[in-house]
Amino acid sequence: MNAAARGPWRAVALPLGTIVAMAVLWEAVARGANISAHIFPPLSVVLQEAWKVGPFLARSVLRTFTETTLGFVTGASFGILCGVAFALVRPLERALFPLFVVSQTIPVVAFGALIIIWFGNTILSKVVIAFYLTFFPVTVNTHSGMLAVDPQKIQLMRAFGASAAQIFWKLRFPAALPTIAVALRLGISLSLIGAIVGEWFGDTVGLGVMLIQAMYTESVPRLWALIITCGLLGASLYAVVAVIERRVVWWRSDA
Amino acid sequence: MKNAEMIWHHVLPLAISLVLLLGLWETVVWYFDVQVFVLPSPSAIAAGVIDTWPVLQKAVLATLNEALTGFALGIAIGLVLAMLLVLVPPLEAALMPVLVAINCVPVVAYTPLALIWLGIGPASKIAMVVIAVSFVILLNALQGLKRPEEEAINLLRSFGAGPLRIMWTLRLPAAMPSLVNGMRVGIVRAMIIAIVSEMLGAYRGIGWIIFQATQQVNFLQVWAAIAVSSVASMILYLVLVWVDRKIVWWK
Repeated sequence: MNAAARGPWRAVALPLGTIVAMAVLWEAVARGANISAHIFPPLSVVLQEAWKVGPFLARSVLRTFTETTLGFVTGASFGILCGVAFALVRPLERALFPLFVVSQTIPVVAFGALIIIWFGNTILSKVVIAFYLTFFPVTVNTHSGMLAVDPQKIQLMRAFGASAAQIFWKLRFPAALPTIAVALRLGISLSLIGAIVGEWFGDTVGLGVMLIQAMYTESVPRLWALIITCGLLGASLYAVVAVIERRVVWWRSDA
Repeated sequence: MKNAEMIWHHVLPLAISLVLLLGLWETVVWYFDVQVFVLPSPSAIAAGVIDTWPVLQKAVLATLNEALTGFALGIAIGLVLAMLLVLVPPLEAALMPVLVAINCVPVVAYTPLALIWLGIGPASKIAMVVIAVSFVILLNALQGLKRPEEEAINLLRSFGAGPLRIMWTLRLPAAMPSLVNGMRVGIVRAMIIAIVSEMLGAYRGIGWIIFQATQQVNFLQVWAAIAVSSVASMILYLVLVWVDRKIVWWK
């Protein structure tokens, strides 16, 4: 935020410099320390490996990206709906909200195998896992954001004759948006994890599939290529959500 | 008074909705005659837990051992790193991008590498938990340690307090709420990561049981393992909520 104010040049140059420095350091350490490539391959070897499996990697990225996005969008929408419902209908909150919290201590990924049975070995089962991981933080934050609205403001609007719908659209929902945005940023990361783990339970294409295959063949360079790819995908998805957030929640610049 | 209120507002609704949910689940399974591989009834799962308790008990203890060891190490590493970054600001400027880059990668993507590097014993699971937990703790602790206002820090400094003293008397207490918050997120994550890592290869543990049971198409066993691990992580979570109330009483 401050860096951007000091000039766009610095905002770009600093992270870029760090990335280049990390790449050089990686290459130097891996070559200089003479560690076996089986344990820690140099970056150049990793990039060569990524190039070699390029087309498959590209298809996998596309597949995992699709699963993540579908799970995220449906999960976030459902989460916002649930959060709003909980905030507006208090008996519903009393009855269901504790169950939501309890449900999150369940290791969801353990259900992977069951979800494949329920939804078939299709893209849908991965989307369902990503959906499940996303909707909870969004529900919780929508709920708490809606409740955190200053009651005096609500009373003020009511005094001016605002309807319940107006209070919702003009006050409560906008006031909850910054809190919801925090959950969305968390949700996109969780959604990606859900998609990758979902693929472990059986599929033919996807980053999770490639990770498992590389593990069974003990191809460490490919594992590193996949780790970098997962990181790039995760960072890009996060960046997209953050940019949208800054557009929509423009009045709050500190987040 | 406060206890009664807490039971009334939190425990009772939870108990009622839990009982209702289990009742509904049992009825639906019974009424529609749902097959076990689709969805076993709660009573069947309970029976499954009792039947295979010796195996499940050993497994859940192994998983708890990995999760808690990794959790403790992760807290220590995350907190020490956060204090170091606050004490030496240039270090933060240099290291933060590296840490952010490591954190960008979904943590499960490291699992295969951990298994190759450290073998399929407990070490690889503990390492994964450490990675997952230390980041949550680091980010939360950083935020907390930086919370004291500039004026309070300057005041202490004007009394001759060094950076270490300021850290101990001002920053660390101020960081407690967000630290405990990070621990609450971290404990659930620790269990999940330990189980996920076990599913990819292990000698024992809940994740291993789930993997084996899936291979043997024994879905009642899968459900029983999920039930036991859920109860275990719920208990850990409640312990931390309790710690939160006790330690961070000034919140």
